[in-house]
Amino acid sequence: MADALALKGVTRRLGKFVLGPLDLEVPRGGVTALIGRNGAGKTTTLDLLMGMGRADAGAIEVLGLAMPRDEVAIRQRVAYVNPDISFQAWGKVGRALDFVSGFYPDWSQPRCDALLSAFGIARGERIAALSFGARIKLSLVMALARDAELLLLDEPAVGLDVEARRKLFSEILDFVRRDDRAVVISSHQLSDLERVADHVAIIDAGRLVLFSRMDRLVERFTLLDARLATVGAMPSLDGVKLLTREGERLRLLFDRDCARLDQLAPAGIEILSETSMTLEEIFVALVGGEN
Amino acid sequence: MTPRGPLRFGPISPAAPGPLYEQIVSAVKREIAAGRLLPGAPLPSVRALAAELLVSLITIKRAYEELERDGIIYSRQGLGTFVADTGADEIARAGLEQARESMAQAVRDGRAAGLSDKDLIDSLKKEL
Repeated sequence: MADALALKGVTRRLGKFVLGPLDLEVPRGGVTALIGRNGAGKTTTLDLLMGMGRADAGAIEVLGLAMPRDEVAIRQRVAYVNPDISFQAWGKVGRALDFVSGFYPDWSQPRCDALLSAFGIARGERIAALSFGARIKLSLVMALARDAELLLLDEPAVGLDVEARRKLFSEILDFVRRDDRAVVISSHQLSDLERVADHVAIIDAGRLVLFSRMDRLVERFTLLDARLATVGAMPSLDGVKLLTREGERLRLLFDRDCARLDQLAPAGIEILSETSMTLEEIFVALVGGEN
Repeated sequence: MTPRGPLRFGPISPAAPGPLYEQIVSAVKREIAAGRLLPGAPLPSVRALAAELLVSLITIKRAYEELERDGIIYSRQGLGTFVADTGADEIARAGLEQARESMAQAVRDGRAAGLSDKDLIDSLKKEL
């Protein structure tokens, strides 16, 4: 069975921002986290997958179908949750749902009703009066009431309280109980993603920094507290990134895939301690700055 | 075969010590050691347990792989995952080994601190 996503050499220019060239393969049967700073290209990537914008170069395959050639078929099989989608023109929640349901032969009305009650939204509510969080919930209901194969979620946890976030992740994990399905989710809540995602793709400045199994990623990188035994600049070593330095004291990001700890002492670096890192700590250490 | 009751897993939390899959390994071992999961009892599928505990599929897969490697559970293609007949024995054996190792360490620490064998035996009696 074809991968959920296969991008080859995809580029997209938007003013000064350039996405790519991006190569990315996302398997089915699990949840993939797409993380990056604001403006890294997460939304641009997700939009391209749905045909909202065209790539300048490269090949995009979604569920084995080619975008843009098979755009209609892709839209039938993929659900996209995006905080920018507005249904205000339809007035009330119920009318918006009736409108959207007409496009999808796989729409399940009982499922839709169950989701509405789970997320605490009533058909009679005016869309314009919904909070930001409630609008995201409505977008989630529309996505999950269908029998889609791929669920794309762009910042779905923004504006959701703890209980609604729990419900969201429970629905996501329920969705991938069928192993031909896949979820791609971008979010700033990295602790949530560390817990529920099987794979992680980190993008920065329009480029893929790494793609990894989540558990391998947190085993691969560790934080070293170290002391520089020699005077002057820290020697450059593959797999060792200087994060901060105060005098002789160093904080280092250590990549077990590229280096061994016993290579540090001969380079004049004395290790004081080694600690494991969360996804958020690894992310910040790799791409720097605030997420 | 025993009827499948709800698994009593404690809270699985990223804040608790150790990786999530190790917490799940410990929870399953605890259930078996306490006799709440008997030999031959089915475990939830990877996908069902992931949805129930709100953790990734890979976390559950990895926990099951580890339990299977240790001979505590086994899986049958298409049928599911079950508690091994010797699962409880394996856990008891590992527990005994751990206890013996802890006692050996206590004896080494005690001798290093100058305690006599009699002192050590008295200390152990106090613990008992």
